[in-house]
Amino acid sequence: MTALLTAYVLMWPVLVLGILITIARGFAKDAREARKEGRPII
Amino acid sequence: MPPAPSGEIVQLGIIGVALLLLLFYGGTMWMSVAISRKQENADDYMTAGNRIGFGVSAASMTATWIWASSMYASVTAGYTYGVSGPIHYGLWGALMILFIYPFGKRIRKVAPRAHTLAEVMYARHGRSSQLMLAGSNVLGSVISLTSNFIAGGAIIAMLSPLNFGAGILIIAGGVLLYTLWSGFRASVLTDFAQVMAMLGAAVVIIPAVFFLAGGPSMFAEGVASGNVTPQQESFFSSDAFMNQGAPYIAAVLAYAIGNQTIAQRLFAVREDLIKPTFVTATVGYGATVIGVGMLGVMALYLGIEPMGGDVNNLMPQMVGTYLPVALVALAFVMIIGSLSSTADSDLAALSSIVMTDIYGQSVGRRNADPKLMLLIGRITMIVATGLALYFATARFNILDLLVFVGALWGCLVFPVIASFYWKKVTNTAFTVSVLVALAVFLPVRFELLPLEGAWALLVELLAIIGVGVVLGIMAFGFFGLRAAIVIGATATIAVLPFGFGYLRDFETLSGSLVAYSVSFLVCWLLSVRSSQDFDFSVIKSVTGDFDEETATAEDEEPTGHSAHRSGGDPDDDLLGAR
Repeated sequence: MTALLTAYVLMWPVLVLGILITIARGFAKDAREARKEGRPII
Repeated sequence: MPPAPSGEIVQLGIIGVALLLLLFYGGTMWMSVAISRKQENADDYMTAGNRIGFGVSAASMTATWIWASSMYASVTAGYTYGVSGPIHYGLWGALMILFIYPFGKRIRKVAPRAHTLAEVMYARHGRSSQLMLAGSNVLGSVISLTSNFIAGGAIIAMLSPLNFGAGILIIAGGVLLYTLWSGFRASVLTDFAQVMAMLGAAVVIIPAVFFLAGGPSMFAEGVASGNVTPQQESFFSSDAFMNQGAPYIAAVLAYAIGNQTIAQRLFAVREDLIKPTFVTATVGYGATVIGVGMLGVMALYLGIEPMGGDVNNLMPQMVGTYLPVALVALAFVMIIGSLSSTADSDLAALSSIVMTDIYGQSVGRRNADPKLMLLIGRITMIVATGLALYFATARFNILDLLVFVGALWGCLVFPVIASFYWKKVTNTAFTVSVLVALAVFLPVRFELLPLEGAWALLVELLAIIGVGVVLGIMAFGFFGLRAAIVIGATATIAVLPFGFGYLRDFETLSGSLVAYSVSFLVCWLLSVRSSQDFDFSVIKSVTGDFDEETATAEDEEPTGHSAHRSGGDPDDDLLGAR
């Protein structure tokens, strides 16, 4: 039970890290495309 | 095991807090100035031109949906209900985003360049439906803004010598400054920086508290010390489900429909990116909020008593008790980031509603003056900030208000969604169904009539039907009408045997379910025999850009709809198209 609860607590920050990377990569792509097209990102 | 907590929590000090706030609001202000234009465009001020990319929109949706109260509430759920508590808070909150996206795709299809959901209701039904939705949106956003100011004032007061009043003034001033000039564009761009700070902090803080507070051994020791009950140890706690989870499931669609911050991002993101944006925000919100809720679970197992008996103090208390000052600063930025990103979205949402629904559509889209619109939007932000500051000092119970507003939105869900798919729904059906649902919901929610005898049986019957309505609407978005009817009917029949004599003990849940069922029944009964055959393409021509700079040829209204140009009631005009 201890191992299960430990995994349960620690799995969330791992998921958060995955989303953080996804969003950061998406933002970088948005910025690259905007620069290429000569327009502001927003 | 680490040394037992002494009850002292780390203070950041006035200089530390001032530096962090200066860094945070200075940075966001710099971003806002970087994208500012000498002459702002009224449509961009509300929806950023309807073409933002995945990275920006996913960041913004995630940042907006994670607000300070969601972190506090998840920690409270973990502390109160144990291991399943944060799930029954965060999972359903996350699903609010996921379940709205199929409807969002439909809304964008019929109204690609709208600014608010209420504006679309104006095009679909008329002024009364628009104002009902806009009014509920305004109420929700002001309450949300107030809640974020309160959270900011409280965290500043707890971690520095500054008092609550000074705290809320700093937060309100900081958010207003960077949002005022560029509106939604500033809100969305700063959301990226804020979500990076928030998620980054969550990645570090959750495991740091876990290991510094004792690591895996805290669980066995917590059970041995009698700190947790069997229900709190269970992943399938019925206490957690009935008191925390079930009312949230009922509110899943209501919050997404009633919250203009979601609608605004729905109209702003590039149409082909709606799905990935909403799915990413669902996982991002869920993981972050449930993860932060683990601090409450740890507090429970560790046997920690909340400072002053207030469970809202648990998160800063856990962080301040176990973490070094550098990580406390990081947690402070996480909370400030969460509340600021939602507060700026609320300001942008409020300004859009007043610009579009109060001013724009009342004078007619083609007659609206974009410069005046911008001025109205900025004045709205200032007035809303003042109002929220007033309410924050009055110390209303914000979470109670939010639950109440969430249930109010429940009255709107079926009529709003049906209006996007069913040609027969009339303005009368929309308005009457919402008002009747409200009239039945209020006495149930506030127990104005004792829930006993025939009244209790009627309420329970409506609540049982409400279960089917909620699940049916959810299924409809993903699987269509046939699946919705099967799932809704099955759910209602499944709840029938135990719903009577049981649901009356859960007035929050019953109130929400009654709101759904009554609005569904009245709207359906008034529409099913209607001869109206609404032409959805009319919505596209009535909603659209206000600013000439962004107006396109496709926005030109079709002939036969001239009443809208002069600001007349669309119903006079739309009837011809039905």
